[in-house]
Parts: sequence; C-alpha cells; structure tokens
Amino acid sequence: MFCRNQTTRATIARGSALEMEIRRGKFRRSVFLDTLQDSNIQKKIDHEIRMRDGACKLLAACSQRDQALEASKSLLTCNIRIMAYMSELQRMKEAQVMQRVALRSSDAGPTDDRLPCKGKVAISDLRIPLMWKDTEYFKNKGELHRCAVFCLLQVGAEIHDTDMVIVDRTLTDICFDNTIVFSEASPGFELRVEMYSCCSEEDYSTGSTSRKLASKLSSSLGRSAGKKLRVAMDPGACSPISNGGGATLLLPLPTVVGPKYHLLAHTTLSLSHVQDSFRTHDLSISGNEECSHWVPLYGNVCCRLAAQPHCMTQQMMSGCLKVKQFGGDPQSWTNVYGVLKGTNLFCYHRQEDVEANIEPAFTISINKKTRIRASEKDRHNKAQSICISNHYGGEEVTHTLSADSREDTHRWMEAFWQQFYDMSQWKQCCDDLMKIELPSPRKPTLVTSKQGSLYHEMVIDTSDDISTVTDILARRMEELELRSQLGTSPPWMSLFEESPGCPRTHNRLPHSPLRCPRPGLLSSEASLTSDSDSPCSTSPCSRYSGWAEPLSLSSPSSHFRPRTLSLDAKLSTLRGRGYGGVLQCSCQPPSSSSLAPIPAQCVPQATLSCSSSTSSNSSSEGSHSPELSDGTPFSRPSSARQSLRNLRAKLDPRNWLQSQV
Amino acid sequence: MSFIPGQPVTAVVLHFQLSCALQQRIEICKLRQGEHLILGFSIGGGIDQDPGQNPFSEDKSDKGIYVTRVTPGGPAEVAGLMMGDKVMQVNGWDMTMVTHDQARKRLTKKNEDIVRLLVTRKSLEQAVRHSMM
Repeated sequence: MFCRNQTTRATIARGSALEMEIRRGKFRRSVFLDTLQDSNIQKKIDHEIRMRDGACKLLAACSQRDQALEASKSLLTCNIRIMAYMSELQRMKEAQVMQRVALRSSDAGPTDDRLPCKGKVAISDLRIPLMWKDTEYFKNKGELHRCAVFCLLQVGAEIHDTDMVIVDRTLTDICFDNTIVFSEASPGFELRVEMYSCCSEEDYSTGSTSRKLASKLSSSLGRSAGKKLRVAMDPGACSPISNGGGATLLLPLPTVVGPKYHLLAHTTLSLSHVQDSFRTHDLSISGNEECSHWVPLYGNVCCRLAAQPHCMTQQMMSGCLKVKQFGGDPQSWTNVYGVLKGTNLFCYHRQEDVEANIEPAFTISINKKTRIRASEKDRHNKAQSICISNHYGGEEVTHTLSADSREDTHRWMEAFWQQFYDMSQWKQCCDDLMKIELPSPRKPTLVTSKQGSLYHEMVIDTSDDISTVTDILARRMEELELRSQLGTSPPWMSLFEESPGCPRTHNRLPHSPLRCPRPGLLSSEASLTSDSDSPCSTSPCSRYSGWAEPLSLSSPSSHFRPRTLSLDAKLSTLRGRGYGGVLQCSCQPPSSSSLAPIPAQCVPQATLSCSSSTSSNSSSEGSHSPELSDGTPFSRPSSARQSLRNLRAKLDPRNWLQSQV
Repeated sequence: MSFIPGQPVTAVVLHFQLSCALQQRIEICKLRQGEHLILGFSIGGGIDQDPGQNPFSEDKSDKGIYVTRVTPGGPAEVAGLMMGDKVMQVNGWDMTMVTHDQARKRLTKKNEDIVRLLVTRKSLEQAVRHSMM
C-alpha cells in the first residue's frame, strides 16, 4: 500500500531506538509524542495489532475454507492498516520536528496559506467486469476454478475493505455492494483502490451436509484437484503480506499457513474522477494468467465516486447582517440573519428561523460567477460594506451587505474568500450537492449464496437424510442421461449382455456402466475425466441390463465406485421405481431368459436415438435429446422427472435454447 | 427451371436481384389465449447461446435470434413469418445483440398487442437456387 516515491515518508530503520520502542509497544512520553493525534494513532495501532492476533488465531483454528479466506482477508487488512498508521505516525513526527526547527530558526508570522475545507468522499457500487474466454463459458470444461476477491480502499491512513466475493467463471462482473465513506478528505485526496485475490479450492461450498456428502461420495480427488490441494497444503509460509511492498517488517509476524491473497490490480482515483454518476476507470493489473490467483479482468472498474465538501454541507459563517439591494434608497436596509452554506447565502428574518426550518426571506447565491467587493466607507455608514453581484438571467443584481462592526465585516469577507477558495479547490463538487447514501447497518450475511449461475443445480435443502443424498445422486444421474446425446452406443454393446467373463466383484451394482455413475458432476462438467481406477476399466461389463442408453460422452473408461450397502440398495430401488418395470432390483440377478430378447431390440433403438439426437433441434421444442421418447419398450419416466429434465435442458447452455412465444 | 440451350436463361437475372438477404417487415397481432398473448412461433439463439448449434444460420458464429418454428395457422404464420428468419428488430428494439431471455421478453410484453418485426430471410435466394437445380 505504500507509494515508495513519497519523499515525506521514511521507514523506521531497523535496530533504531524508535523501532525498539515500537516493538515493545511502549512509548516514552517525550516531548515529540505528547500530542492528542499521536495517541489516537497509537490507540488505533494497538487495536489493529490485537485484531491481527485474533485473525491469526482464527486462521490457525478454522477448518472450513470460507472461514480461512475471511480470516486471511482480515489479517491482510490489519497488516496494511498497521503499516499505514505507522507511516502516518512517522509523518506526523517528522512534521513536528520540522515545525520546531522552523520556529526556532525564524520568527516568521503565521503562514497565510489558506487551507481548503475537507469533505466527505464516498465510493460505492464498485463493479469490475470480467472477461472469460468464450469457450470456457459455454463448454464448461474442467473443474470450476474459483477465486476469492476483495478490495481495499485507502485515503491517507484510512483503509476500508469491501466484503469478499467468490468469483468463478459463471460470473460476468464482480460487484461489491458496499458504500465506503471517507469523512475527512482534502481536495487533493488520492483514493487508492486495490484488488486482492486468492485461489479458492473448488466446490467447498457452504451447502448442506447432504450435498457435501453426495459430492464426496461421487467425486474423487482427480489429478488436477489433487495437485491444487498439494499446493495449498504446501507450508510455504511466507507472511500474508505478499503485495511486494516488502517494507522492513517491524514486528515479528507469526508465520501463518493458510490462504494467501495477492495483489491483482490497483488504480488511484482523485478529484478529477469525482462525478455524480457512474464512471469507468482503468485498472493496472499485476499478475498474469500463470498465477494461481488470476482472475481474467477486463481492465476496467466502474464505480460512483462522489464528494461532499464541508463547505457545501455545513454552515461556514453566520451572523447578523443588514442587506439592501443596490440602487435602492439608503433607508431600505433589511435586518437579516445570514447563513453561508454551500453556494448560497441564506437570509432569514430571525435567527430562530434557521432551526425552525422556516424558509429564508431571500437567498443570495454565492457561486463561481459571483463577484464580491468590499467597498470603502459608505457615505452614510461608518462601517465597510460588502457588495455581492450576480448575474440572474442576463441582468446583474447587486446586494449590499453591512455588518455591525468592522471585525464582523472582516470576518464575513474572510468567510467569502474561504468559500471561493474552497470552491476553486473542490471544483465540480461545488456545482451541486452530490448525494451520498450512508450504508445502513445490516447484519453481514455469513453464508454467501452461490453467486447465481443458471447452470448450477437447485439447492436441495432437506434434512440430512440418506434419502436426500440418494435423491441428489439420482438427479445427477438423470442429468447425465440428458447430456448423453453426444455419444453413440457402439455396436459391440450388444455383446456385453450378461457376459460371464466379466468380474462379478461388484455384483451389487445394478445398472449399466454406461450410465457412468459419476453424479459428482455438476452441470458444469461435461467430460467424465477421472483418475480413479475402476475395476472394469474400458468395457461396459457387468450386467448390461438392456438399458439402451448411449454411451455417455467421450470418456473411455467407465467407473464403479464401491458403495455402501444401504446406499446401493436405495439407489437401485429408486431406479427401479422410476424407470419402469423392466429393470429389476439389483439384488436379484435378472434371469437371462427374460432379458435376452430385449437388448436385441434395444440396440437399434439406441442407435436410432443417437442419430436423431446428433441432428439437433430439428423440430423439437425445448431441445432435449429425444432418447426415451421414441417408443422405447420401457415405460416412460414419470412426468415429474420429465419436467425436471425439461428444466435442465433449458438451463444447460450447451443445448441451443428455443422458446415459444 | 432447366436449361434449354438456345433459350435465354432468365433465372440468372432473378438470382442477381435476390442475392442479398431480404428484409421483411412483419406485423403480428397477438392472439389472446386465456390469459396469455401468443404469437405462434418459437425463437432460438442469443448472445448467451452456443451459435454453432443454430441450424438456420449461414455463419455459425451468428448469435442472432432466429425463428425456429412457426405454428401452423397461428398469428405469425398469418402475418408471413417463416421458419429460418432472423429477427433483427422488434418494435424498434434491436435483437441482434440480446440474450435469449431478453429476446423472449421483448416479444412477450403484456401491454403490447401488436409486434412489428424486422426480419431478414434468405428463402427467396434459396428458392431460386433450388429451382435452378
């Protein structure tokens, strides 16, 4: 978070006395440090150190990936905040020293430099568009690579963080809903936006345990997943400050093993970017595709950056005045109570009207085009008077103000000068008051819903029952059926009915291996790549129970997974129920006589259905493959499953969707 | 049209005139069926769909909205819409860069009884080609 080219900042030298003091956490009450501001900063540093310790402990203790990501994020934020506070402290000390030196050396009067007023700067609705490759988006090959992303926003020593967002390839933009307000910013502020990302392992979703169980049962640790896991477990424990800032670490940081965030992109916004609407800014991206924490950024960030300078929102000056319109008779002075706020001088009849919210008697606008002049002593008045000229629609209107005393007049002039100066410094922010909506305090949602993708399954949230697991598995198997339009059933399929040569070790397995019991596949996975070794590798051996399903997809190997007894039985009954009476319960070996004729019939069916499905979408609506709908000897699946299938077909982008209008 | 030697081949002239895709303006009056307003056709395509699977498009990277089916006797057929037409505009709204769902929504607005489509069609060119074979 440092800008190394800032000359005003210097790091604390290792081994120096100051560093030792900081290490011990104690400060000598020396003349240098005995100011209120310093103690404020010190308190903040202490607070952040405590937070950091807490985050470290949490990181070490937590087991779930989401918690680890959150804890790591807080750790990173705390570290960066500590560094920012330290540097702020250093800067203040240096300023004090310089001031002392200046005072000692010369007795120059108070500098007449005018300081602009501060203001509120708010950034909201951060949106970072992503640029996934076309093929990734549609084909959905491979596992879902996810990253956890958050942003840090810094003005001066004030650092705010956004919530963390999990990004995967179904997301087109990263949106941060937070509104972040910096209360005391000068017009020369620099708002640094930094985006940190960290690779998140796949599918550690915060779903129900039955889902987790189902996915665990049906998915194995493939080669790539295993690799990732190994990398993650690698105790390459450098400290979580990995933004390359590399400042001399002042405090001994505990080595933490856990998810590490890396800086992915940054940009700096300033007054010129402030506008009352959304704007797009460029991002500087550090990192490339090879990094594990890479997220394909489009290169822009959109946000709304608004500023409310205090001169627009607060009363800058108020007091009693006498006003008369220029050119009027000298007796027509009106006594008003004037309030200078924003681009107007409100003149109320009485002071009480201000609090009572009564409309002012009249309003004189004070904006960039206003001209204010202090005139010499009026003939009739002892005091100086102030002339304010404005152009209202072509004609010039001048008001003359007169204060009670010379000092008041001087103060009013001073206020006007300051107002003009502020307006010149805050530029476009003083044209109109920009709205800043303060974020309402709301409970942070702990469980982030899966960043909505149409292509994911519906969440099934029932009690953790074995039936939910089997339901999930059954649905996933259906889904596989749905996607089996790409494969064709090889003609040698028919040879493998009840082949006795095949090892019967898994005689409990009820179904055709063509079904490829890998329900671990979410709809995002198209191919059945797996590294698990299956007992019957290539041949669809075991019982070809006459299930005329074309071979699912392109995977050459079909897999069995030894299942628990109860699950197995349950699955078989499920299938038996749903898919007609031909398939019997796996517990009984089907009598070959009853089944033998059927496969012969089915094979032509299988090839027929395959060929029709490859010529896609000719006349069918809803474009799901017409596997079972063409007069198969089996009873049709129940209508509930059919509608579920329709829904799946609709949501699967690899079908070419058609809609009836 | 077969080629008879000695006779002028008028089909060629016809082909040149119609070699570009025709743009048709089609006005469909929606039909009320119960509580639904139907148009009587199906659409496919969209920028969120896989364009390689579009059977009607010539250019397989065309992500536009195509008419995939026309209900016989429905309002769309009566108005002259044909299968394979590419929908370019609906009531002035562009349909060449929309998602499938956006397209569907633009056609099925409940407060509109009439939709005016701008479609392009290459059917005449194909018809001429066929006739020349």
